[in-house]
Amino acid sequence: MEPNSSHRTRIAFGVIAFGLALVVSACKPQGANSSSPARALPPEGELAAVPLGDIAGAAKLRAVDEVANPLDGNASAIADGHRLFIAMNCAGCHGYDAKGGMGPNLTDAYWRYGGTPSGIYNSIYEGRPQGMPAWGRALPAQDIWKLVAYLQTLGGAVAANEYHAGLQGDHDLTSTAAEAKSLLGVFDNPSGTTALMGGQESAPSTPAPPPQHP
Amino acid sequence: MPAVSRLAADSLRVYVMTALLALALMPESEVAAQNASGAQANAAPQDPAGEWHMQARDFANTRYSTLNQINLDTVKRLRVAWTFSDGAAYGHEGAPLVVDSMMYVVAPFPDVAYALDLSKPGSPIKWTYSPDPSPLAIGKACCDAVIRGWAYANGKLIYNLLDDHTVAVDVKTGKEVWRTKMGNVENGETMTMSPFVVGNKVFVGNSGGELGKIGWLAALDVDTGKELWRAYSAGSDQLVKIGEDFKPYYAWMRGKDLGVSTWPADMWKTAGGAAWGWISYDPDLNLLYYGTANPSPRVPVQRPGLNLWTSSIFARDPSTGAAKWAYSFTPHDQWDYDGVNENVLLDLTIAGRSRKVLVQFNRNAYAYTIDRETGEVLVAAPFAYQNWSSGFDMTTGMAIVRPDKEPKPNVKLPNVCPPDIGGKDWQPSAFSPKTGLLYAGIFNICMDVTDHRQSYIPGAPYDGMEMTRQAGPGDHWGEFMAWDPATGKKIWAINEKFMTMSGALATAGDVVFYGTVDGWFRAVNDRTGKVLWSQKLGSGITAAPMTYLGPDGRQYVAVYAGVGGGAMVSKAMPGFPPRGSTLYVFSIDGDSVATGLEMPTTEAMGTSKQNDSSQTGRQ
Repeated sequence: MEPNSSHRTRIAFGVIAFGLALVVSACKPQGANSSSPARALPPEGELAAVPLGDIAGAAKLRAVDEVANPLDGNASAIADGHRLFIAMNCAGCHGYDAKGGMGPNLTDAYWRYGGTPSGIYNSIYEGRPQGMPAWGRALPAQDIWKLVAYLQTLGGAVAANEYHAGLQGDHDLTSTAAEAKSLLGVFDNPSGTTALMGGQESAPSTPAPPPQHP
Repeated sequence: MPAVSRLAADSLRVYVMTALLALALMPESEVAAQNASGAQANAAPQDPAGEWHMQARDFANTRYSTLNQINLDTVKRLRVAWTFSDGAAYGHEGAPLVVDSMMYVVAPFPDVAYALDLSKPGSPIKWTYSPDPSPLAIGKACCDAVIRGWAYANGKLIYNLLDDHTVAVDVKTGKEVWRTKMGNVENGETMTMSPFVVGNKVFVGNSGGELGKIGWLAALDVDTGKELWRAYSAGSDQLVKIGEDFKPYYAWMRGKDLGVSTWPADMWKTAGGAAWGWISYDPDLNLLYYGTANPSPRVPVQRPGLNLWTSSIFARDPSTGAAKWAYSFTPHDQWDYDGVNENVLLDLTIAGRSRKVLVQFNRNAYAYTIDRETGEVLVAAPFAYQNWSSGFDMTTGMAIVRPDKEPKPNVKLPNVCPPDIGGKDWQPSAFSPKTGLLYAGIFNICMDVTDHRQSYIPGAPYDGMEMTRQAGPGDHWGEFMAWDPATGKKIWAINEKFMTMSGALATAGDVVFYGTVDGWFRAVNDRTGKVLWSQKLGSGITAAPMTYLGPDGRQYVAVYAGVGGGAMVSKAMPGFPPRGSTLYVFSIDGDSVATGLEMPTTEAMGTSKQNDSSQTGRQ
């Protein structure tokens, strides 16, 4: 995104942002962001490369695709995220309990556009076609990560390193049957598709040749 | 939610007022035929008795049919004649139209229209029209991607798309005749209401009060879709179309530019007051009647003042849009009570004086009988449990607000009744000129509410009410009732465990119809309230039933089962049904055009073939 246009739009949102800054900063305890180690935010725009769907040819995920929320588990960020959720009118669509209304339920495991931290970040940043506004020009990246941190506490989000598990509908990896895991291990790796558990390292970066008919 | 779990054992109960107990015990046919209130209605525009050209059937919004093949004696024999599913998984809220031997239905988003040929067995599709509205509209519609109705006029099917356009379709070909853009869906304006046609004008209004959109009603030319006038629900007198002819009955609604001065500076621009409900028309007075919705944001401390002209009713000249009178049901509406419900136009005698009135069951739980020439409130009486007011002041025309039921930001206020969705929402009532009574599905719901201050962000909600809702006294969420509009008295009521959010249908066969959110479609004796027939359908009923005479001379009753819209506030109740999209059409014994026709012939396979193992693959 062009930084200047982003800047101009943010000024247009001045009243909202100013009011919001008061709300958020007034409530933020000094030095409270210590519950997890500080991590740098990914460069703006970088996350746009994270795919929404599966990856053609079973190419490898890149590091950016698995980016974790730098504010993951940060208590004050989560509290700020909750305040933002109400102040930015998110609750008006998704419900004050985030269980849905005009917009989808954000507490369950059903994610139309991905439930990893980067997926949720992108949905907030870019907007989505069925009425979700793009907040990337109104909110700084830090605030979007705070919203993500809050949503990650509601139970439905997918962990950063479970991108494929989310796509494959494995809502709770601990309950995946051992037999299924072993079968997936047998069938996925030889065919070149990414395995559910730890198979990403061995996935080839080029598509496997089509199966040969005898 | 303990109130809900106790409902599980609650079976259907019929309460009949003492005076009618004797009548209820008589055989159905021996109940004296008399008009309880003396009320009558104008059946203009006098469409053919077997047809149904507009959602409420007539300008007066009675939803009354003179058909009587289905009556007290035959109603028990109702069976499914045919069904039609449109596959759309949003709330179905409209009634089919029947013109000549064709039926016209429009599915909720993506708003696909179908013409069904009633003269052929199974009523096959003659044409399909797909307008392809923008999917953006789904997330801008406050209350599900619904459509509340469609209209027939001059060879055209006219309806609103969720993405803020009005379209007209040629009923012969299914081709689009015109499409008019009414606003910008990106800013949160949608359209869900049923257009209403008088002569060569079609009247349409907007939705979007929950997103801070200012309300309006517009007139379009039926043949071209050209906009003729537009009147706003707030702003200057010029925008509201208030001029010299404007004579509100109550002094507090008189003055210059009240649509500006009853708001904090500039807040009229995001006033709300959407016109998403029903429209009525009196051809003798040449006046159009419709209501406006809640003020925005829904947090009242942010908008001190009367907030005119939201949660109000307008009487307008249909040719110019000029307002003749207005009346605000809930000035400075603090609970999202709106004013958009149907206005049924009746003629009756009150205190010895013959009056032209309109009756509205408002969301605030008061039923109003109002002089439709002047805007004077003649009767105001609660039809559902309410505790937001301590009474009604007939001299000011205002309900008296209880200070302890006024929400304050960030403070949870328990047990406000009714809740935002009201004692009754948009689901339309019906009137029978045989009984003089109105019939309506109503609610028995309360809320705990916490207000949150809002910033206006275009395209995002401008709302601010955090709520939980629960059943009111008696633990039932719904009720179907008969109401005397002259006295303001409930005549009988049927309690329903789930919400009753269907429209009502009254007929000359002395039976009235309604449906429930858990999917029961019922026929009731219009005088006693006795349930005569019930059929469980595939989803909850939030649409209005209608009736028509088929090309075969049989009377049919049709209703959509496709739960959605405001009924989704009760989706957490155990037993709440899944979405549906099926139109059910009933007739006596299920007979239809298909009855008695030859079934497809089955070709019997010869014994030699069956024994030929080379044809079966068996060795």
